[in-house]
Amino acid sequence: MRGLDRLAMAMRVLFGRSRAGAQLESELRDHLERQTEENRAAGMDHEEARYAALRAFGNPALLREQVRATWSWGWIDRLAQDLRFAARQILRAPSFALIAILTLALGIGANTAIFSLTHALLLSTLPVPAPDQLVRLAIDLHNPRAEANNAPLNVPFAQFLNQHAQSLRGVFGWSVYDFVFTEAGASRGFRGAIVSGNAFQVLGVRPVAGRLLTPADDQPGGGPDGWSTVISHRMWVGHFHADPSVIGRRITITDHSVTIVGVAPQGFEGMVVAEHPDFYLPIEFSAALNNNEDQLHSAAGLWLMTFARLKPGMSRRQAQAEIKTLFPVMLDDLMPPAVRHLPVVERATLDVDDAHSGWTELRLEYTRPLLLLQILACIVLLICCANLSGLLLARASARRHEFAIRGALGAGRLRLMRQLFVESLMLALPGALLGIGLAWLAGPWILHSLDSRHSQILLSPKPDATVLALSVLCAFVCALLFGTAPAWVAGHTNIDAALKISNRRAALSGGAARRFFIPIQVGLSLTLVVLAALLGASVVRLHSDDTGYRMQDVVFHYADFGRLPQKGAALVDLYRRITARMEQMPGVDAASAVGVLPFYGWIFSESLTSASDAAHAKTTVTDINNIGADYFRAVGVPILAGRDLRNNDEDLHSCIVNESAARLFYPHGAAVGSTMHQVSHDMGNGTTTVDDCQIVGVVQDSKYDSLRETPPPILYKPYFDASGPVSSLYFAIHGRSVAAAETAYHQAIHELAPASPETDPAALSELAGGSIAREQLLSVVSGFFAALGLLLSGIGIYGLVAWNVSQRTMEIGVRMALGATRGHVFLMILSQTTSLLAIGLAIGGVAGFFAARTVGSFLYETRAGNPGVFLASAGVLVAIGMVAAMLPARRAVNIDPMQALRTE
Amino acid sequence: MGKPSDLVQGTLDLLILKTLTLDAMHGWAIAKRIQQLSGEVLQVQQGSLYPALHRLEQQGWIKARWAESETGRQAKFYALTAAGRKQLETESANWSRLSAAINLIVSEA
Repeated sequence: MRGLDRLAMAMRVLFGRSRAGAQLESELRDHLERQTEENRAAGMDHEEARYAALRAFGNPALLREQVRATWSWGWIDRLAQDLRFAARQILRAPSFALIAILTLALGIGANTAIFSLTHALLLSTLPVPAPDQLVRLAIDLHNPRAEANNAPLNVPFAQFLNQHAQSLRGVFGWSVYDFVFTEAGASRGFRGAIVSGNAFQVLGVRPVAGRLLTPADDQPGGGPDGWSTVISHRMWVGHFHADPSVIGRRITITDHSVTIVGVAPQGFEGMVVAEHPDFYLPIEFSAALNNNEDQLHSAAGLWLMTFARLKPGMSRRQAQAEIKTLFPVMLDDLMPPAVRHLPVVERATLDVDDAHSGWTELRLEYTRPLLLLQILACIVLLICCANLSGLLLARASARRHEFAIRGALGAGRLRLMRQLFVESLMLALPGALLGIGLAWLAGPWILHSLDSRHSQILLSPKPDATVLALSVLCAFVCALLFGTAPAWVAGHTNIDAALKISNRRAALSGGAARRFFIPIQVGLSLTLVVLAALLGASVVRLHSDDTGYRMQDVVFHYADFGRLPQKGAALVDLYRRITARMEQMPGVDAASAVGVLPFYGWIFSESLTSASDAAHAKTTVTDINNIGADYFRAVGVPILAGRDLRNNDEDLHSCIVNESAARLFYPHGAAVGSTMHQVSHDMGNGTTTVDDCQIVGVVQDSKYDSLRETPPPILYKPYFDASGPVSSLYFAIHGRSVAAAETAYHQAIHELAPASPETDPAALSELAGGSIAREQLLSVVSGFFAALGLLLSGIGIYGLVAWNVSQRTMEIGVRMALGATRGHVFLMILSQTTSLLAIGLAIGGVAGFFAARTVGSFLYETRAGNPGVFLASAGVLVAIGMVAAMLPARRAVNIDPMQALRTE
Repeated sequence: MGKPSDLVQGTLDLLILKTLTLDAMHGWAIAKRIQQLSGEVLQVQQGSLYPALHRLEQQGWIKARWAESETGRQAKFYALTAAGRKQLETESANWSRLSAAINLIVSEA
């Protein structure tokens, strides 16, 4: 009851605050009246009686405050007062408030935009029970050549570990997969996933409708319902209108009849971050699609992302210890002895990594760039805070008179400081809200402008509660940062002194403290500009560097011929006819076929050795590509010696090398006419095969994997051998224009392979751009941040100088009356700025020097300590600082001495 | 002597609770009663009663009600609650122990 009473009273006080105040008034008045009456009864006269009563009572104003302080909701009263007062202050100077809010919106918006990416890619926890128990199993190949050694597993590995690992409660495979969903004759591609039958059980996910997949579904040929699929909640609501009868319906997925057995919960997007699968099917279904049951159950390839759940009470370390002993046992069990003891297999280890937030390959490439951008965004916010500190400090100095009066009337120091913090917060919170809005609008726009497949995947359209909470927290931290200096001024105003001097003089003294913030802004901005310049210069270099290809008007199309009846030699013939037909078309210069696209981030390599000097020949793992005749003409790579491949059976054992490969394998002699050995190990059965090919030509070097690399040695082989073409090929077309090449492709496919689906074009220049998506992201976003920093610094300098000019009007008037020339005044105003700029540049130069060294790995043919970049960046800042200072300085020059002296 | 700051912390609370055991009273009457009962020894600064009364009310030990007083005016009457009665017992016991202890020390010396 007592709790309820107190609550009732709290409510009474909360909602009847004014009534409670009135009642307190009458209670105290009643007391004083009674005492006065008693005193009069004792014989005092009226006045004397009242004074005696007051003396016995004490200071009513103080007691009233003490009583109010006992009320449990009293602080709301005081907060409301502060808020009302702060709102009045802000409305008094709306343009100032607008500038402050916009500044903060930019700073907080930048952080929100980057953090929403960071959160989506690195931090967001999977929506499953006990996510901390989830781990990812990955093979580390310890390959010294690769940047990241992070190979997935395969079905036999996952099944073995599921059976034998005691520390794990369930091991399951999970791989993203594209499906074609056909409905009423129309087909559309959807993202999906193939998963082990136990995946949903191990994850502990509950279906919204129907059931989830079980191990019984993941059998060759399908389970009790035939092939079964779980659809996403998004698909269920968006496509099937949340119809419960959809459970049990048969649909067509990639030409196979599949039963919908259930709906995954809302918000569940599987194990792979930044993927949004709409269909989940058992792994066995992929074997049915590709007709490769044997391959699916072979331990040779490494392709299946594998996850597991730790048993309760088990730590990742314990699981790692068990896996360390289990891994060799598994290899002994599943791999043929010849393969088991290859050095690459002997070196490999199996790692147990944390997976509470899922996994994506993008993390390998984007973790460090995103952290870098997050730091840059924080620097932008610091500049914002320094800027606002200066602005608010000036205002606080101008308001010293007001603080003094309020202090004299009894406002405590803490009360004054709190008041100023509330004012800061009232600027910071709207700033944060606006910033969140800006991030929402600008984030996708920035990423879209990059036009790359990676950045598209990163898009996370939904604003996340964590992100929003962090933005609001950001606002509070900002308010503390930029509110401290002005609050200190408010709290430490000397009442006596401030009341004596004039308002104008009080304001003047604020400039000194304010000056302190300009070098900070300039220094931080210089750091941003230096980093942006380095990253930007790298991207420019990457783009202008010679790739070895003709970058314009070359288009690739994937030949999606899997569903055609032609196989083997018949398919080779089809490729030949299609490329020949395309070459006949008007506006097409050359057309060919190629196995691996340049700049696709995927290369094929084998061990090669020269056959001519077998004793001294070294075996080198070399990049290989499969091509047709005219490929070099299509992509603009000149043939330096010998001849091109002919698209016929005489050339089955011919090959072409590029200059680097020729130099590597034949440093002394002519490469043309020599023979190369290609040694390949079959990881399935352990056999080693040696293919020989005779070099018929040498071509110029070109890049292969990425714009970042120097051209590697490459061996080019025909795209077919005696049994048929290599598994998947792309057409490479060079036309007078991209449009002409496109037309030729569509017409040739229409005429010669009408049953195959047409595929989207990939221009060579886009592929090249895509290979440096990370560098482009860094340079565009850091450039944007640097521009923000410059803008804010400019505003800061402009504000300070304009303030000074307006405060020193009289002084300038006097100086000019005494004979100072306009030039003198101009220089006097500018000199203050130049010294502040100089300090800022010194700070920024040092900070930039160290910051530049941390981004070294993102740079390309650009030295982190490049003095030119530093000088140019400093020059930009000086120019902006000078322009910002000159605008108000011109006003100072135009001061009319008589006018100035009269107004004072 | 007898300024509230000289009163042992919490003593004023005890005095108020004790005063209210018999009857509901308004603030002025409580001040008078404390003065009378202590033989005019305790000169409580009258105003300082009010922060104490409001605090005790917040704690739920006393409750207040507006009613017509003997003079015909509206006055705020404070009365002890059940929780207040228990609190009074605890505080009285504490006080007895404390004063007995102090007495012992003072008389020994």
